[in-house]
Amino acid sequence: MLADLKYRLRALLRRDTLDRELADELSFHIEREVEKHVRAGVTRAEAERRARVEFGGVEQITEDTRTSRGLERIDALLQDVRYAWRGVRSRPGFSAAVVLTLGLGIGANAAMFGVVDRLLLRPPAFLSDADRVHRAYLNYMWDGAQRTDRNFEYIVYTDVTSFATSFDAAAAFSYQQMPVGRGTAARELMVARVSASYFDFFTARPVLGRFFTAQEDVPPAGENVAVLGYAYWQSAHGGSRSVLGEQLHIGEVTYTVVGVAPRGFVGVTDGAAPVAYIPITTFAYARDPAYATSYGWSWLEMLVRRRPAVAFAAATADMSAAFARSWQVQHEQTTWLRPVSEAKPHATISPVHMARGPDAGPNGRIAAWVMGVAFIVLLIAAANVINLLLARALQRRREIALRLALGVSRARLLQQLLMETLLLALLGGVAGLAAARWGGGMLRALFLTADDADAVATDTRTLLFTATLTLAIALLTGLAPALQALRADVAGALKAGMRDSAYRSSRLRTGLLLFQSALCVLLLVGAGLFVRSLANVRAYRLGYDIDPIVLIDTNQRGVQLDDAQRNELADRLHAAAMSVPGVRSATLAATVPFYSFEGRGPPHVPGRDSLNLLGRYILQSGSSAYFETLGTRILRGRGFTSADVAGAPYVVVVSQAMAHAIWPGQDPLGERMRFGSFGGDTTPYLTVVGIAENVSGRSIGGAPEFWYYLPTLQYRTMFGAARGLLYVRVDGRAGDHVETLRERLQRELPGDSYVRAAAFADVIAPQQRSWRVGATMFVVFAALALVLATIGLYSVIAYAVAQRTRELGVRIALGASVARVVRMVVGQGVLFAITGIAAGSAAALLAARWIEPLLFDASAKDPVVYGAVAVVLLIVAVVATARPALRATRVDPTIALRAE
Amino acid sequence: MTDRLDLPQGTLDLLILKSLSLEPMHGWAISERIREVSQAVLQVPQGSLYPALHRLERRGWIRAQWGASENNRRAKYYELTRAGRKQLAKEAAEWDRLTAAVSLVLRMA
Repeated sequence: MLADLKYRLRALLRRDTLDRELADELSFHIEREVEKHVRAGVTRAEAERRARVEFGGVEQITEDTRTSRGLERIDALLQDVRYAWRGVRSRPGFSAAVVLTLGLGIGANAAMFGVVDRLLLRPPAFLSDADRVHRAYLNYMWDGAQRTDRNFEYIVYTDVTSFATSFDAAAAFSYQQMPVGRGTAARELMVARVSASYFDFFTARPVLGRFFTAQEDVPPAGENVAVLGYAYWQSAHGGSRSVLGEQLHIGEVTYTVVGVAPRGFVGVTDGAAPVAYIPITTFAYARDPAYATSYGWSWLEMLVRRRPAVAFAAATADMSAAFARSWQVQHEQTTWLRPVSEAKPHATISPVHMARGPDAGPNGRIAAWVMGVAFIVLLIAAANVINLLLARALQRRREIALRLALGVSRARLLQQLLMETLLLALLGGVAGLAAARWGGGMLRALFLTADDADAVATDTRTLLFTATLTLAIALLTGLAPALQALRADVAGALKAGMRDSAYRSSRLRTGLLLFQSALCVLLLVGAGLFVRSLANVRAYRLGYDIDPIVLIDTNQRGVQLDDAQRNELADRLHAAAMSVPGVRSATLAATVPFYSFEGRGPPHVPGRDSLNLLGRYILQSGSSAYFETLGTRILRGRGFTSADVAGAPYVVVVSQAMAHAIWPGQDPLGERMRFGSFGGDTTPYLTVVGIAENVSGRSIGGAPEFWYYLPTLQYRTMFGAARGLLYVRVDGRAGDHVETLRERLQRELPGDSYVRAAAFADVIAPQQRSWRVGATMFVVFAALALVLATIGLYSVIAYAVAQRTRELGVRIALGASVARVVRMVVGQGVLFAITGIAAGSAAALLAARWIEPLLFDASAKDPVVYGAVAVVLLIVAVVATARPALRATRVDPTIALRAE
Repeated sequence: MTDRLDLPQGTLDLLILKSLSLEPMHGWAISERIREVSQAVLQVPQGSLYPALHRLERRGWIRAQWGASENNRRAKYYELTRAGRKQLAKEAAEWDRLTAAVSLVLRMA
């Protein structure tokens, strides 16, 4: 087998040498034959004649020998390739149209495959036994609803991993931005806090030094060792080998570099590559020395590897039991945790991809949808190409009939025709990869987090996918036209030429066109729905302003401040911010919507109980200008004033939803409430002085949230210090003030502390991201589909008109008016469009059920969208047919008739 | 001169392999050898010899090498490979069985 392949390869690559050798061999044979005859006493001339006669035709033998080399198939194939290439080159316009169309379709799919593969399919680089590695999630009942957590306390991690027996490895990890470096050189960079066991999940070996060991990662405090990420090692240390032993400041701690992770290693994150890996125990001890034995700080994600012999369901049950046991222990130690019987803690273990876990964001789902959309675009492109090829096949009937008549076998002819499509598809595939590479950057930015190391559309998997897709498309688009071409009735085609028989067999083309316009309608409807959904998201009032606000936070390092000092610093920052030109107002606050919440349990209201069953309560504190700064409207009563200071009567403002829930049908103004068990029984009663509009801080468009607001000064008397957040309302664009504010406030900070300032809009934007992604992708692909469908419609109508030149000429000659002919041609296009609209709308309505959950506050059966799409498609139909129609009217009857 | 026989289908390969089992040979020598050994009964059709040689080489049963011929010219010598030797044994055994079976039938009839 191998010898055979080697021989054939040699035969293929060294064809000339082999031919020369064969010639030598044959002439040697004849020479010996001649000698033999001469020896037998014949004259030389006679001997040569005899030898040649006996031997037969040298040419024939050469040919036969070549055949026996096993090259005839390859030869034929090469011949077909050359023939196909000539065909491709001889019609550059046609070829370019096909290549471009396929390129767009294939490119869209290649690019999306890269994203979907990354989000949902491909295991993280270096991960071994990926099918047995799971992320662990904990589900439990809370406030009457099931919640899912994937972040755990260190003690829960050690509990669960020691209780559960179904796993042969476990690791804890947490990726977060941390200040790296010191002083003004400090930057917020991604740092992976990981257990030493984390590295065991991967086949990765350090390129330099070593990973840290289990002995360096033991509670209470691990060693101060760090492993650098490859990219950071390159950028910050120039890939220097002397980096080992160097010091690196991360957060509050100085670490010694002991190793460098290999290129491409990021662990299991979808996000930015970490600059360094540090032991969880080292990091945690610096933050809270009691972390290893106390509950309340859930920060670690968990990775487990199932034993090969344990089934998935059994492992899940085992994990659930471990969680329940840990919960029970925790319940006994803390007062506020619900008992196991109520909370019903149980585990989910899922593939390592976040997008396939129980708390996946919509990214993975939307990416899968968009992949489907990209595939539809490809189908539309394929339909176009089939139409083009069908037209070509009709034009080539004569040529093909001629070749059939000359004795070329149908199989060979089919192979040739398919080869031409394959060549076009391959070119399209290359164009597609180029397009995917170009568009890949955009997709990456939309779906994956920035600086994802490997570029979309260049990895082997994407290339393989693209190659397979290209071959499939070549077959799909090539087969029907080729078969149709071969169906030619030889005699008839030769007799009639191409003029007559062409227009008949267009049922397939009509079908394709309808299929195409229906798919196009489907995509346009999808795009319309997503655009409307995005508009709804944007227009949705969150209960606070976003655009004119700058959010300021401080990171305090190198100083230990007590509550009084922290409060004093916060007030100083507040005053400094107010002094910056362009600032209209500013307020201190405790939380940022979508990022941090302060919950102090359900409030205590005289005469009311079971308030915990109503929902979650979110506490915010603010200065006297809180409501005017954030733009949250006070619906009744008042906001805070400068009189709400420590010592003054305690006041509280509650959100409308909370007021309705606690005091249904009553006037809440003047009512009193107090912090429940979390605040202790010693906190004073607060009097409700105002009702604020509802705000969204947990989810956009979710259930109304219960927010209540305390004046910062009064909050401090109860809880000491609040987190010193600052909202600043500015004139003009928030982004223009960020740097000024940061510089001004930085001056107030002690030690290594630094100020973080950002436009509030940038902070909130990620919450709208999935809707924006959906809308953008649908619009882009639907536009692509529309362009392709328009080209398809145009080419089919134009072709039909060209074919009917004679008929139209006759009609005009017989007195049909120009308007009538135009109406006839355009009418045909409009009929296509209407049928497409009907079919596409029906398909869209069927798909509505699945698409609706992805939309924001929009019905998937929105008649406005369907109507708009219908109008767009009708306009396209008229525009696409207008040119051919006008050309038809210019048919000169005499020429048309003479063409016969 | 005895009448010449055309080679039955498929036997040419067997004869070539058998000839080469004794020593490496070039194409002309092979056809001469078959003729001589069969006492000129078997005539190798010259037109099929070379395609057969190349086919056998492709299958890896024989391999070719250029060498000097007895009259000191460059000639292509073929020799049997290990696979070829095995193939020869197999084909020879099949041939024996076939001829034995055929003659058995003929004698019975």
